[in-house]
Amino acid sequence: MRRRGFVGTLAAIPAAIPALSAQEFPKLEFAVPDAGAEPTPKFFSKPQFAALKKLGDLILPSINGTPGALEARAPEFLDFLLGESPADRQKLYRDGLDTLNAQSRRTFNKAFDGLDATQSDHVLAPLHKSWNYAEPADAVGAFLRAAKADFLAATVNSREWIAVVSQRSRNASGTGIYWKPVE
Amino acid sequence: MAATKYDVLIIGSGASGATTARQLTKKGIKCLMLDAGPAFDYEKDRVLRPVYDLPYRGFGKPGRFPHVTQANEFTAALWADEKENPYSYPANDPYYWVRIRRIGGKTLVWGRASWRLSDLEFKAKDHDGFGDNWPLAYADLAPYYDQAEPLLRVSGRKEGWAQLPDGIFLPDESKDSQATARFITAATKRGIPTTKQRRAQGTLASSANLILPDALATGNLTIVPNAVVREVMVDKATGLVDGVNFVDRHSKRELHAKARVVVVGASCLESTRILLNSGVANSSGVLGRYLFDQFYVKNTVQAIVPEARGGRPAAGMVGGTGYIPRFTNLKGKDKDYIRGYAVDFGSGGTPEPKYFPAYGEELQKAIANHTGAGFNATTMGSVLPRFENHVTIDKKTVDAWGIPSLHIEARYTDNELKMAKDAMNTLAELCEASGFELLEKHDKMVPPGESIHELGTCRMGENPKASVLNKWNQSHDVKNLFVVDGSSFVTGGSQNPTLTITALAMRASDYMAEEMRKGNL
Repeated sequence: MRRRGFVGTLAAIPAAIPALSAQEFPKLEFAVPDAGAEPTPKFFSKPQFAALKKLGDLILPSINGTPGALEARAPEFLDFLLGESPADRQKLYRDGLDTLNAQSRRTFNKAFDGLDATQSDHVLAPLHKSWNYAEPADAVGAFLRAAKADFLAATVNSREWIAVVSQRSRNASGTGIYWKPVE
Repeated sequence: MAATKYDVLIIGSGASGATTARQLTKKGIKCLMLDAGPAFDYEKDRVLRPVYDLPYRGFGKPGRFPHVTQANEFTAALWADEKENPYSYPANDPYYWVRIRRIGGKTLVWGRASWRLSDLEFKAKDHDGFGDNWPLAYADLAPYYDQAEPLLRVSGRKEGWAQLPDGIFLPDESKDSQATARFITAATKRGIPTTKQRRAQGTLASSANLILPDALATGNLTIVPNAVVREVMVDKATGLVDGVNFVDRHSKRELHAKARVVVVGASCLESTRILLNSGVANSSGVLGRYLFDQFYVKNTVQAIVPEARGGRPAAGMVGGTGYIPRFTNLKGKDKDYIRGYAVDFGSGGTPEPKYFPAYGEELQKAIANHTGAGFNATTMGSVLPRFENHVTIDKKTVDAWGIPSLHIEARYTDNELKMAKDAMNTLAELCEASGFELLEKHDKMVPPGESIHELGTCRMGENPKASVLNKWNQSHDVKNLFVVDGSSFVTGGSQNPTLTITALAMRASDYMAEEMRKGNL
């Protein structure tokens, strides 16, 4: 009886799943989340995030119509990325931002995001040092080195940057060959 | 369904396993190939995607691949997941074990550089007294190199050098740019040879498209993906291996496959791991010993070609790549280290932003001004095979299928450090002599393993008390067990190893087939 039931179940399965025509299942258009929403930073404290935004704007400002870090939402993206990152990377960023604010207050009596161009350039002096393979001895130097690389990548890989730059150069498509996960 | 007993069971579908399958099946030998990774469709399973649509904007999921610097968000699915496939190493000596588990193995993304070894490597002990010779000479392997190069479609230029034997190449008649020609002239004046790259050509140069189709066309090959081998099994009555136990990757079902001969080609350290977990082929006690690779000093020099500044270098001014083969200690010892290094060099790239000590608009101007004006060179050095660099089974660290993994101990020593320093100073001198402006020079090696050229741990040798395999990649202890990948190397030189792995697998397969025909296996 049990066997008959099993065979009966098999027989109920159609030989092939009939294909739907394009009319029966038309191609639907979808949007990415950012098309209709703003990112919500949550990893850094407010003073840290304010310093991060200022730093991003200094490292890669908008130049001649090309989006800068702020237009590319790079600070918000890095807030998300750092929130997902290993603890040592999180510490590098949090300590680095705190140090920028502390140095700014000590020297100029205001937070980093309130500094003018000359004052912030003073605080960002490590970025004027020649790069080499030796890890910077001071934590803020190491942080600024990491932040420079991350802001540049987060910006040039953004939809906003690529939309503008790909209009100017055929070589700036921003696409790559993606290997799909295979079960 | 009764399981078929195959003539030969092959573990792994990369360069060595696929080559073995091709050679044997063409002689009518029935082969079963097990691979730990999945099958995939090269056309359908790869798509063009904009980087901004990836969840992490190209950065990749943080912490997913702490030891795979080659991984990025586009290729993340390709590399063996480190959580599923853990391993261990001493706290202060990280080892970067880079693996791919898919049909085709690492040949899906290899650098394709294809250089022959010479008797400077095969008979290295005769030359400088260190370590051991291989149990075979260049002349023994040359006929198989002759077959491997056309199979992999290797292009190159013949030079007539003893330390880097010529082969059967697709000709490379490409012209050198002015910048590259200047560098070559500066090297030549100092007695340093240069040549074109020798590389496998084509959109894809993998065992999956160049080697396995031939084997499948014979009708003698059965490939089973998702088969994670747990151990090789020994028949206690005969002392011979009679098959393997494996785990289905998805269901974790345990299975056993039988064969007359077992060939292990699972990649260097995976092969040794399987044998150590099986408790076979180790009467010498050196299984797992003599781990080495090639050390890399990436971008040993980064320089600027001054006249290429401005953002749009004139046609022919920059571009192209080249290679410096080993040129030190060729006829005795002329350095404070033994053996030597090779160099990949190229001009026409744009230096990474980190090289410019600036930010903001000043940085963007510097990048624009140096677009295409870069010159860089990477050093690949010979690492001495040392007994103390080794792997053992770490029973506390098991993979997702409950199989114990490896503890890996490898350190570079004074010989490698001196070599790296010499390479740095030599390349800096060549840049200066070429009229390039040096942005940075360094001799910091990447951690052992990162070059993905791990070799040794199951080495060949004449002496069964000091080696695992004989000169035919055959176990000294168990005559129907062969190991055909890079684990069999005795020395490695500074040449990328895949071409030699392929040639060795061909040679071992021919011997295996003949022994089977004679009834010895």
